[in-house]
Amino acid sequence: MKNDIFNFRRFRKYFSTDFRTCWANYGLSLLTIAILFPVTTYIVITAFNLFTTHTWDGPDMGIRVFVFIVAMICMVVTMPVKCYGKLTEKHYGAFWITLPASKLEKFISMLLMTCIIVPISGFLIYVGTDAIICALDHTCGRNLVAGGIDLLRNMSDLREFTMNLGDEQLTIENAAVAQDLIRQVSNPWIYVDDFFGITLPFLLGAIFFKNGKSVKTFISIFAFGMATSAMMSPFMANWASEIVSKANSDPQAVVELFSHGIFKHLVLVDIISDTIVNLALLLGIWFRIKTLKH
Amino acid sequence: MIQIKELGFTYGETGGLGSISLSKEKKHMLPAEKYVLRNITMDLEEGRIYGLLGENGVGKTTMLTLLCGLKKPQLGSINIDGHDPYKREPSFLSDQYYLSDEVAPMNMKAIDYARNYGKFWERFDIEKFTEIMQVLETDPEQKMTKMSFGQLKKTYISFALACSTKYLFMDEPTNGLDIPSKAQFRKAVTKYTREDSVILISTHQVRDLENIIDPIIILDRQDILLNATVEEIAEKLYFDYSNEKADDALYSEMIPGGSIKVCLNQSGEESKVNLEALFNTVHQNKELIKGIFNK
Repeated sequence: MKNDIFNFRRFRKYFSTDFRTCWANYGLSLLTIAILFPVTTYIVITAFNLFTTHTWDGPDMGIRVFVFIVAMICMVVTMPVKCYGKLTEKHYGAFWITLPASKLEKFISMLLMTCIIVPISGFLIYVGTDAIICALDHTCGRNLVAGGIDLLRNMSDLREFTMNLGDEQLTIENAAVAQDLIRQVSNPWIYVDDFFGITLPFLLGAIFFKNGKSVKTFISIFAFGMATSAMMSPFMANWASEIVSKANSDPQAVVELFSHGIFKHLVLVDIISDTIVNLALLLGIWFRIKTLKH
Repeated sequence: MIQIKELGFTYGETGGLGSISLSKEKKHMLPAEKYVLRNITMDLEEGRIYGLLGENGVGKTTMLTLLCGLKKPQLGSINIDGHDPYKREPSFLSDQYYLSDEVAPMNMKAIDYARNYGKFWERFDIEKFTEIMQVLETDPEQKMTKMSFGQLKKTYISFALACSTKYLFMDEPTNGLDIPSKAQFRKAVTKYTREDSVILISTHQVRDLENIIDPIIILDRQDILLNATVEEIAEKLYFDYSNEKADDALYSEMIPGGSIKVCLNQSGEESKVNLEALFNTVHQNKELIKGIFNK
């Protein structure tokens, strides 16, 4: 008897079909974003510098990182709609539901494509294009990958932690909190968690909303953010006023607060809360696939 | 074999989603008129091409989508060879195909579409697909985004037939087809389907499917008015194509070159069943027809 829940052979078949369909629907957009963004940035910035300062100067690391983040966000927002948005349309949705693969296989394939295959492909093409531009024109400086590695190295050398508290600036040398934060920030899971936190809402939005998928997803994220902020703001306001009042009278107390309080585990709190939200999103996607009807 | 027992479905109570299964208590609280389909019981046997006829909004598409698992029955049950269609098990899905009335292009060539998706149906035959495409005079190398509505429809019909599934559900397959294509469609359906298959075709265009559908199911709101083979219909009803006046006619209509009258077949004489006249007769004599055929 065939396994109706998960079968590797069938999954391989489904995944390769999903990949081809995604490539047909989104391949061109992916290449456009991953190649056109860095090339256009290079041309526009170099031309701007040439006209304004009369020097041949490519875009620096700051601009390139900014455009890279914008490009990745564009990719994450547009990909699920192009690849899976049609599931809410009668013809394709009916065909997809009755395609002989299990719900679990369809779910896993969808996640792999949205959260791993497409973003990694986009990332590699983007940094590859950036590396080629930097290799051809040295005025751009180091490429994004080399720059990122440098940034991580510099972070581990950080020995002091500076805060702006009202008009005063507080610098804690050899701060345990800084070291803790760096150690925790070096944990790759925080990035995976954050990345899933960006991609999953757009995937859910693509298969949940019938039209205006990206806009409605943005509005939902905004509404969710507003609601959680409203819930958290009384606590945050208390903390903030406590820190500011203590900073004026007893700066050492602030150091204590940061070294022993919740701030020491800020990254952990962030990871846990993101994981909970991501699990809820995964559950939402699963139930949408399970109960999708036409 | 498809067994449908006391099937009921409503859109109203679920806000148009048609997706929420009603609780046991609520099912019995709902007024009968809320249901699109209610108390539908019938068996569909192997080796037959069923024609599902009915006015707009009587639930033909709903019935097809329930049978292929796109919707969940809110009352009663559907059993297809031991499977509940709504569970959407791959072992069941690989033996059925649903051809929607709406068509949308995929961003690829028709042949690539067939290669990409055909492998999910064990009996899918790519050569059969290209052969049917040729019969329907459509180029498999053409990009689907550049196809007309009719060409797209023919591509999906070719794909559906090439899957060679035991259960084939087609919703208004001849909509959008030109006159020669309708004849080619009839030819393809009879030539390229399995002998043990159960094919259910819903249509408004009864003439398009004349000579291929047998038995005929005429659906009314929440009811089945007729579920009979052409032989049974010809046994009980007489289709008179002469110009003679018949006072006992259940239905009569002027047609080019004469008239058609439908009467009760009291002499046992055989006549050619005219689907359009049959449909109108059934609709004008609902209770009488139900009484005759349910005996």
